[in-house]
Amino acid sequence: MAAAVPENLAPTYADVDRGVLGIMSTPGAIFWIWVAFCFSLVGIAVLLWARQIYEGLGVTGLKQPTMWAVYITNFVFWVGIAHSGTLISAILYLFRSRWRTGVYRAAETMTLFAVMTAGLFPMIHLGRVWFLYWLLPYPNERYLQPDFRSPLVWDAFAVSTYLTISALFLFMGMIPDAATARENAVGWRKKFYGLFAMGWQGTQRQWHHFSMAYLLLAGLATPLVISVHSVVSWDFAMAQLPGWHSTIFAPYFVAGAIFSGVALVITLLIPMRKWLHIEDLITLWHMDNLAKIVLLMSLVVSYSYLCESFMTWYSGDKIEQMTFHMRYFGPQGYLFWIMVACNCVIPLFLFSPRIRVNMKALWIISIFVNIGMWLERFVIIAGSLAVNFNPAQWGYFKPSITEIMITVGSFAWFLGLFSLFAKFLPIVSMTELKEGIVWLRQAIQKGNTVDY
Amino acid sequence: MIIVGSFDDQELSARAIAALKKARIGEISWFSPIPPEHMEEVSHEKKSRVRALVLTGGIIGVLSGLAITIGTSYEWSLVAGGKPIISWPPFIVICFELMILLGGISAVTSFLINARMPAFDTAAGYQPRFGSDHFGVVVRCEEPDRTRVESILRESGAQEVLLEAA
Repeated sequence: MAAAVPENLAPTYADVDRGVLGIMSTPGAIFWIWVAFCFSLVGIAVLLWARQIYEGLGVTGLKQPTMWAVYITNFVFWVGIAHSGTLISAILYLFRSRWRTGVYRAAETMTLFAVMTAGLFPMIHLGRVWFLYWLLPYPNERYLQPDFRSPLVWDAFAVSTYLTISALFLFMGMIPDAATARENAVGWRKKFYGLFAMGWQGTQRQWHHFSMAYLLLAGLATPLVISVHSVVSWDFAMAQLPGWHSTIFAPYFVAGAIFSGVALVITLLIPMRKWLHIEDLITLWHMDNLAKIVLLMSLVVSYSYLCESFMTWYSGDKIEQMTFHMRYFGPQGYLFWIMVACNCVIPLFLFSPRIRVNMKALWIISIFVNIGMWLERFVIIAGSLAVNFNPAQWGYFKPSITEIMITVGSFAWFLGLFSLFAKFLPIVSMTELKEGIVWLRQAIQKGNTVDY
Repeated sequence: MIIVGSFDDQELSARAIAALKKARIGEISWFSPIPPEHMEEVSHEKKSRVRALVLTGGIIGVLSGLAITIGTSYEWSLVAGGKPIISWPPFIVICFELMILLGGISAVTSFLINARMPAFDTAAGYQPRFGSDHFGVVVRCEEPDRTRVESILRESGAQEVLLEAA
């Protein structure tokens, strides 16, 4: 596809520095009020968690047969959110996709904080959180090691690896930008950015090894991102429970993760580009491309829903069919249909190019996708447990205020951390934007059109 | 002596490096604010050692995964769920994750070691603008070559040519 590139889209290196460093200026009162609001919600969530640790899981809505519900839904949701960052930063880097430069740092930051948030939920879900270390390959007093055949142990390895690699990828990619910030800062900020820059001066030696290490890290992160959500899906698929025991789960979860992750990138970028005045750095072209990914993933996810339903019908398994019947038409069937509307129907509006570049419409659609993808995980996890092999045991889950407020707190924690990062560290990659300028100038010289 | 040429375009600085290499004058190094594809092309760098270290890290990761899973399974050969003591498919997951983890950590540490970072000293010829919007070409040469180096840098499009004491 070709699009017109206005002359003013080819800024100078100095323009890029000014634009990005301008974001990192001293924050005003409104910013601090927002951060304080976020962390006060986190404080409430921490207090409720402390009460839960003291009184036990009875303060939640968890009871037989739905012993996994909101907390595990949140875990899967946040791990999924993380995936878009690695998709945009690593996979599109390997494909040399040029449009990623404006948005990848924000997506990568989102990845790190989303994995950090996700990692909290298995802990919050534990009745005895102080025994968390039992997941580590560490023998107990009877010299028994963890069972490496358990997907929960795979999860511990996958999520901790993902957190480590995401953090390394983010902070390593930020080194040249931190050096630019260091050279333009004074006082404590100079020292602060100097810590992240680690003495980077853009020398021949530094670039030579940096380029190779970054490429290899992107190459390692790419299969990792696929594996992590596959492993998360196997937490369910390895169980025998109807509604969980399915071979389609790994690709289905990975597709859903990219879908929800890119939607959340849009949700965050639209207000961010407006409030931070960076419409020139994160342009409608970037947003249009992100919207196209959401549309594509919506179609993949819709296809997965159809496949899952078809296989249930085709298998002839009565118990599986009953689980799905209850999922569609049971007491909480409305959640399934809201999910279908949010994930399969509403994103179809993105077929319209005008809606893709209408920021209000795009933002609203991205919110619906976030809601839909959270519900998808809830419907699979809690909905399948509610209708197990024994009808006498059936029972639907209702969340308590503890779970609701801890969920709200997790969003506040994520948004608070993201806001602090966006204000104090380069949320847009100056180095890669500058690299893009060279290409943009060449494109303009060739006749003012760009193929993408 | 050290002569520093400052350029506002990567291609011009690459042109200067190529011309200096052709003239075989002094020892050349450079600074860049962006990934320096053109400058690396003309510099004919050796392949980075980071590659071998990442491969080593990945192999150590796989071996660690095998050691942890097989070793702990044999420590107390307990049959769980009727599965073999050495169950390869689940163990591959652990090996894969450790391969990525140690490969990734090796990538970053080998980059830092090879790039000699954290760097506490300023490299010869470095100027703060080389971190923002200018490319620097630095030539270490003897006094008799000074005029030739300066003229090559200027002819290649240097905006400014400065002299620094070695």
